[in-house]
Amino acid sequence: MSDVYLQALISGLMIGGVYALVAVGLTLIFGVMDIINFAHGEFLMFGMYGAFFASALFGIDPYLSAVMALPLFFAIGWAVQGVLIRPVVGKSHAIQILLTLGLSLLMQALAQFLFSADFQSLKVDYGSATFDLSGARVSYTRLAAFAISMGMCAALWVFLQRTDTGKALRACAEEHEGAQAVGIDIARMYKIAFGLGIACVAIAGIVMTPFFYVAPVVGPKFTLVAFVIVVLGGLGNIPGAVAGALIVGVVESVGALVMPSPSLKDLAVYVLFILVLLFRPQGLFGGKGA
Amino acid sequence: MSLMEAKGVTRRFGGLTAVNAVDFRVEQGEIVGLIGPNGAGKTTFFNLISGFLRPDEGEIRFDGQSIIGHKPSDICKRGMTRTFQIVKPFPEMTVTDNVMVGAFNHHRDRAAARAKASEVIELVGLGPQAAKLGRELTVAGRKRVELAKALATEPKLMLLDEVMAGLTPSEVAGMIEVLGRVRAAGVTMVIVEHVMQVIMNLSDRIYVLHHGEAIAEGAPDQIVSDAKVTKAYLGESFVAEAGGGAAS
Amino acid sequence: MAALRANWFYLAVLIGLLILPAYAESEFVTAVMPRGLSGSALLHIFVLIFFFAFMSQAWNIIGGFAGQLSIGHAAFFGIGAYVSTICYVHLGLTPWLGMFVAAVFTALVGAGLGLISFHYGLKGPFFALVTVAFAEITRLILLHWEFVGAANGILLPFSPNPTFWEFQFTSKEPYYYIALAMMLASIALVAWIARSRFGYYLHAIRQDEDAAEAVGVPTKRCKVQAIALSAALAGLGGTFYAQYTQYIVPDDMVVGRVSVEILLGAVIGGAGTVMGPIVGAFILIPVGEATRVIFEGGGTGTSLSTLIAADMSFGDKFVAYLDYLAAGGGGGLAIILYGCLLMVVVLGMPGGVLPWLAGLRARARRRAEASA
Repeated sequence: MSDVYLQALISGLMIGGVYALVAVGLTLIFGVMDIINFAHGEFLMFGMYGAFFASALFGIDPYLSAVMALPLFFAIGWAVQGVLIRPVVGKSHAIQILLTLGLSLLMQALAQFLFSADFQSLKVDYGSATFDLSGARVSYTRLAAFAISMGMCAALWVFLQRTDTGKALRACAEEHEGAQAVGIDIARMYKIAFGLGIACVAIAGIVMTPFFYVAPVVGPKFTLVAFVIVVLGGLGNIPGAVAGALIVGVVESVGALVMPSPSLKDLAVYVLFILVLLFRPQGLFGGKGA
Repeated sequence: MSLMEAKGVTRRFGGLTAVNAVDFRVEQGEIVGLIGPNGAGKTTFFNLISGFLRPDEGEIRFDGQSIIGHKPSDICKRGMTRTFQIVKPFPEMTVTDNVMVGAFNHHRDRAAARAKASEVIELVGLGPQAAKLGRELTVAGRKRVELAKALATEPKLMLLDEVMAGLTPSEVAGMIEVLGRVRAAGVTMVIVEHVMQVIMNLSDRIYVLHHGEAIAEGAPDQIVSDAKVTKAYLGESFVAEAGGGAAS
Repeated sequence: MAALRANWFYLAVLIGLLILPAYAESEFVTAVMPRGLSGSALLHIFVLIFFFAFMSQAWNIIGGFAGQLSIGHAAFFGIGAYVSTICYVHLGLTPWLGMFVAAVFTALVGAGLGLISFHYGLKGPFFALVTVAFAEITRLILLHWEFVGAANGILLPFSPNPTFWEFQFTSKEPYYYIALAMMLASIALVAWIARSRFGYYLHAIRQDEDAAEAVGVPTKRCKVQAIALSAALAGLGGTFYAQYTQYIVPDDMVVGRVSVEILLGAVIGGAGTVMGPIVGAFILIPVGEATRVIFEGGGTGTSLSTLIAADMSFGDKFVAYLDYLAAGGGGGLAIILYGCLLMVVVLGMPGGVLPWLAGLRARARRRAEASA
């Protein structure tokens, strides 16, 4: 394998790890609530802005921000579910899509109003440090983003498998009425699921800030990529989402090599998406397996 | 030539054979009953002959031509229409508009479709409710709309999936009267029904499905006295249904 | 009764719109208009209203009547603009004909997208996602295709003394009447569809596809026809936009925000109704434009980055930031309102404003009957 491809493979896996955390948040929300959140990427964007301002104004390290974001964005997700999403749970998909689309529009414009449309970037001392991995250059910040995201995914998986709350969430994902019948507080589970999903995507945004620009428009790309991954991995399937994310990360970075222009890399991802939707709508790894 | 004939129709879902090598035929002008315990494959069989599912094996001919692989709308155009067990009125349309959708099959023109719809609405006794929205109707009303939509397509053969389910005894009586009028209008019917008196009284011939297989076929009195049927199905159920028919 | 009164209302509005340009500069109009809004700015706002009403009406056919939520109509809009502009710039074909070339082309693209999606049974959110991906693919291709100017787009050749055949005008008035005619034609077309067999079929598909198929509605064919027709209209809209702004660029046209704005009018006014998209556009655009005029006038001139880096105490920075926000911040207030409107409508009147009003009227009538 030549060096450029090795490099592409490694950077693809690195960014794929972050995509995994974004997609796991989306698939958790979908799995438990059967809601497709078109505003997903906007929460990522707000996470990034939070880390940016914490750093620019108070000198807080983004990784410390990531830790603080967990309770903060969980609470935000909890509140958004309670106020905005709750009324459309169980309604038609069109209503749900339009509502979250409205939320996405609102959040983007709000970010533009509050933070301006300018692209910002968070600067840390160690931002450009790299190390050598059998011929490929890997930056520490990307490796950290990968490791933290993967760790979060694993933690979430353990949480869902081992804890009572996690088991209750999985029960909701499998059978709403059944879960209710055995005394699970569905409304609370929905808030937890949305809170966790939002916390995941916000943290994914924050750990990218050392190497990714911040702007009001960053969200939609991540929303779409998360959909690609979730469809690829099977709706509601968490391990599937992680696998799908790594595939998408690699397709994207290898796509940047083989496409006539590196910025066409997303084209490969979207074409893959449409093909999966058409030919294997249950995903490569089956649906709701988690 | 039979109006509709199915030979060796089989459909599997994963490891489960929902419908297994069923032979079935309907003659012009008949009312054919299709009975069987829950999960016997009746609705799957309807889905197969109406084109909503494709059989894995077997042949289905309607009016002398194979309809395997044809879309439901195409089969409807040829003259075979079905109703749904879980009724599907268009909720945001009035009864008249609901029925017009069916009537447009043979009447491209709006006025003609409306005239046809009114005619059918009168036939099924929905006249006073014609201006109501689909979602505003009672269960009995929905069942009649379901029937009217199908009738408006001017079918030669109508497949009725439990049009009596959930009706009170007096509503059942009303529906039987309507089906009598439909028969008088020359429409052949296949009816799936749980209310046994209804199916025994209405049908000329009955098929019994059990575990996806057609285990008996014959006139109602033959079916009642068929040992296999009694054992598989009617023994317990007929008694229960006769006793508590109103509850179903 | 109510329908009759509504018709008189619409007729009065129409007459008003027909004569408006003649009075755009009159003292009366100037007096009642918000500060600093010239007659030509007023016409511009109306052009925007007509244009968005037209685009929303185009979306209404597939998204409203057939109930297939497209979130990628910006693609048809953009493709339409590029096709007629390429015909004009490279082949010298007048945009009056070019717009129909564009419509045919976008209809084919729409039909292709529909055939593939509906053949594989994509429904609800999955169809919506395919349209999003399709629009992104379209944007990326336009963005990298040198022949059509890539990221720089195409600047239409400017004629100082344009002729009618160039579809360029020095005043706003001709654009006003063209946009008005397009909107009226789209209303007529959709009104006709609503009363036709096709319209009944589309409504049936939206409400229950299996039930429609069972009573003989060729659902797949109808959906493909609906998206092709919808895409064709969106393509016509693209040509108008290109001729009106004289400049087309992928990142302004084929983006998610535009796709959402296209569906916004119909969803807010009433998707699947004839006048919904028009009512929606007449609500949205004035609200948006008023917000822009009132709140986004000046700006403080400081950029946020300068403010963050400034050598001030945190308290001073915060005060300066409030000033910055008071002057309109980074903009986007109109879109904030759009987003809020969309959510309010979805939560409070899920069918849109028109069906909501009809429901209110029906309830009032029933109450009157009950008390009588």
